[in-house]
Amino acid sequence: MNEHAGPAGTPLLHVDRVTVRFGGLVAVSELDLDVPEGSIISLIGPNGAGKTTAFNCVSGIYAPSSGSVRFRGKRLERAFTPGTILRALAVGLLTGLLFAAAAVDVDRLWMAVVKRGMITGERFTMAGAMERLRGYFRSELAIDQMAGKWRVVSADGSDVLAIKRDLGEAKLVRDALQAKVTARRTGPGTIPDATDLNQRDIAAAPSVVLPPVKEEVLDRLAAGKSRIRWRGWLGLFSGMLLGIAGTLAVWQRGRRSPHVVARAGISRTFQNIRLFSSMSVLENVLVGLDRTIPGGVFSMLLRTPKNRRDEAEARIKALSALDFVGLSGDANRIAGELPYGDQRRLEIARALATGAKLILLDEPAAGMNPSEAGDLAGLVERIRDRGVTVLLIEHHMNVVMRVSDRIAVLDHGTKIAEGTPAEVRRDEKVIEAYLGGEG
Amino acid sequence: MATHRAPRTFSPPVPSSGPWGFLAERWELVTLAVLAIAPLVIPALGGALGGQVTNLFIYCILALALNVMVGYTGLVHLGIASFFGIGAYCLAILTVPMYPFQIGFLAATVIAVLVTAGTGLALGAPTLRLRGDYLAIVTLGFGEVVKVTLRNLEQITGGMKGLNPVPPPGAGVTLAGIDLGKEFAIDPRWFYYLALLSLAGVVLAMRRLENSRLGRALVAVREDELAAQAMGISATKVKLSAFAMSSAVAGLAGCLYAASLSTTADPNAYDFNRSIMVLCAVILGGLGSIPGTLLGVAILVGFDTVLAPWADSWIQQMNINPKGLSYLSFSGWRLAIFGVALVLVMRYRPEGLIPSRRLSAELHKGGAES
Repeated sequence: MNEHAGPAGTPLLHVDRVTVRFGGLVAVSELDLDVPEGSIISLIGPNGAGKTTAFNCVSGIYAPSSGSVRFRGKRLERAFTPGTILRALAVGLLTGLLFAAAAVDVDRLWMAVVKRGMITGERFTMAGAMERLRGYFRSELAIDQMAGKWRVVSADGSDVLAIKRDLGEAKLVRDALQAKVTARRTGPGTIPDATDLNQRDIAAAPSVVLPPVKEEVLDRLAAGKSRIRWRGWLGLFSGMLLGIAGTLAVWQRGRRSPHVVARAGISRTFQNIRLFSSMSVLENVLVGLDRTIPGGVFSMLLRTPKNRRDEAEARIKALSALDFVGLSGDANRIAGELPYGDQRRLEIARALATGAKLILLDEPAAGMNPSEAGDLAGLVERIRDRGVTVLLIEHHMNVVMRVSDRIAVLDHGTKIAEGTPAEVRRDEKVIEAYLGGEG
Repeated sequence: MATHRAPRTFSPPVPSSGPWGFLAERWELVTLAVLAIAPLVIPALGGALGGQVTNLFIYCILALALNVMVGYTGLVHLGIASFFGIGAYCLAILTVPMYPFQIGFLAATVIAVLVTAGTGLALGAPTLRLRGDYLAIVTLGFGEVVKVTLRNLEQITGGMKGLNPVPPPGAGVTLAGIDLGKEFAIDPRWFYYLALLSLAGVVLAMRRLENSRLGRALVAVREDELAAQAMGISATKVKLSAFAMSSAVAGLAGCLYAASLSTTADPNAYDFNRSIMVLCAVILGGLGSIPGTLLGVAILVGFDTVLAPWADSWIQQMNINPKGLSYLSFSGWRLAIFGVALVLVMRYRPEGLIPSRRLSAELHKGGAES
């Protein structure tokens, strides 16, 4: 009965002083449990003892309030990799650009960069577009056309400063006005920046007859430059901050999700059967095999020969998993219409299909008659013989006593006893917990 | 030991679709063949009717896109029309003569599809934890945001005027002496075939999706997210894939729509009504079912855009309604008929007209696979 005790050294699963609290309620308190590789360990106890909570904790559904769960000496958490940082930065850059676009008015930006180039009849080049983009952020005056006349306008097109019939003349006026605006920026009381100085030589401004432009318009245009840049940077930074923080927060919260635990090699069944009930029996197992099937979306869409082969192999693997639990004749049935006992076995097949090294069985024999439970005990032993370690919650004492290498007894969230089946059977505290004490 | 089931021997199965699946495939091929031959036999398809049927095909693509989200993955999406719109506007921006890009239809479609997929991801990423009603509200809101944005970015999208003229596909391309652009502009049958081809491609992709690893993961997440995660499936990735695929296909539909109308129409063409119309079609036909979705669109949109105008013109011809009273015209009753039909279907056939393979497999034991 006990000949399969695990080897000494690091246990496969090491549960160290795990406590799980829900508000004020302590579901599991200071639980220590070692599961050596190749063994069958049972977790028993009266209803509400915290067995399933302990399972949920191991399989990543709940995070322990304190304590740790280690699998092969490692915590089951997603590692913080350079990829995480890169992803956060990429998302941050995207949100930053989005915010900046909104802040600098992407509509007017588009008009200045794309449409204005079309209006003045130049060929669209990347260099020209970049030039206009810079112009927008420097709040430079520009030329566009309306009703056959050339207009000197502010970068965002909201101010019209002059209207000319002739393009050359309009350009001269634009340069002269631009010099005036820039002079206002570089004049007393303002601080010039690098782009002001290397922009345009103010002294070389052409002498043309300028249209009357109000002083406050010139002031506004001069101030427009720092305003648009300020807005752009603010948008970019706040968006980046939000994007990076958000991505990291989501990453942090999903760190211990059940799929991370499952991929590490722990699989489980559920007390209240959770099959994909509208899928066929075979498909259920194929979902369990999901991780082992290579290939991405494109090989799927193109249905490459390799993709076909992989799918066919997965089917064979799935059928052999079904065969293992004795369901190969029902592969095409809908999972939801199987009898209760078969559904439990299908859940086991699905969990085994993930290639897990440790499998958590939550009351697999619930609702079975003694003969079915006997079959199940045989199945559990065969699972162990395949090299898969089993952690079991069970109420059928016949099953527990027959298969377990060691048994841990929980009561009110605390472990009250642990030992071989024979030891546990004799333990005073266990008998008290099950039959009720004297007060 | 009465219930013991001895492990049976089995022979490795040949992965084939089985008799039912084969029939279903053939059914699709027959429909495709009929639709492909139709324009050669029915001259009316060379006229306005051809345009209407093309429109129907485009709606079918849109509904199949929505089906990925609502049918397979079980995420309620009330803003599919916004992705339709984004696709249409992307194509228009890249091709209209107003803007300097003016690239070819094919390249523009590829870019538009990528952009809509990216937008889908951007909508999906922050809303992954939401389900049911909450996600419905988010997608509804997103739909409205997109519509208002399209309307207000007047410099980019042309505001209420929309962007036009969107050149026909193949503008400026001459193939074997045929000026494709011209042909597309003159004969609606070119568009008919383009839309039919796209629809066939999308149906094929959807069928492959259904029988693939990703398709199973989508259904698993819909059925029981926790159990799927316990099987090592990342629900996050699966849902994001659903968002991306759905948006990309909706974007493709949008491209075809804008190109076939040669305008994006105004942003109100991509509002909530359109989303709901498509959602109704998917639910009416059968959630998660490809033929069901197609039938749903054929009935609802066909009724709306083909039958109703036809009935109206018939009433006019018969001179039943000389004063033009609205309660005597067929389209006055359009929405009432629509509503009553939906109520009746939901009462008597809540799983849809052609339920999904999984549901029908439940009805006809023996299954469809291997």
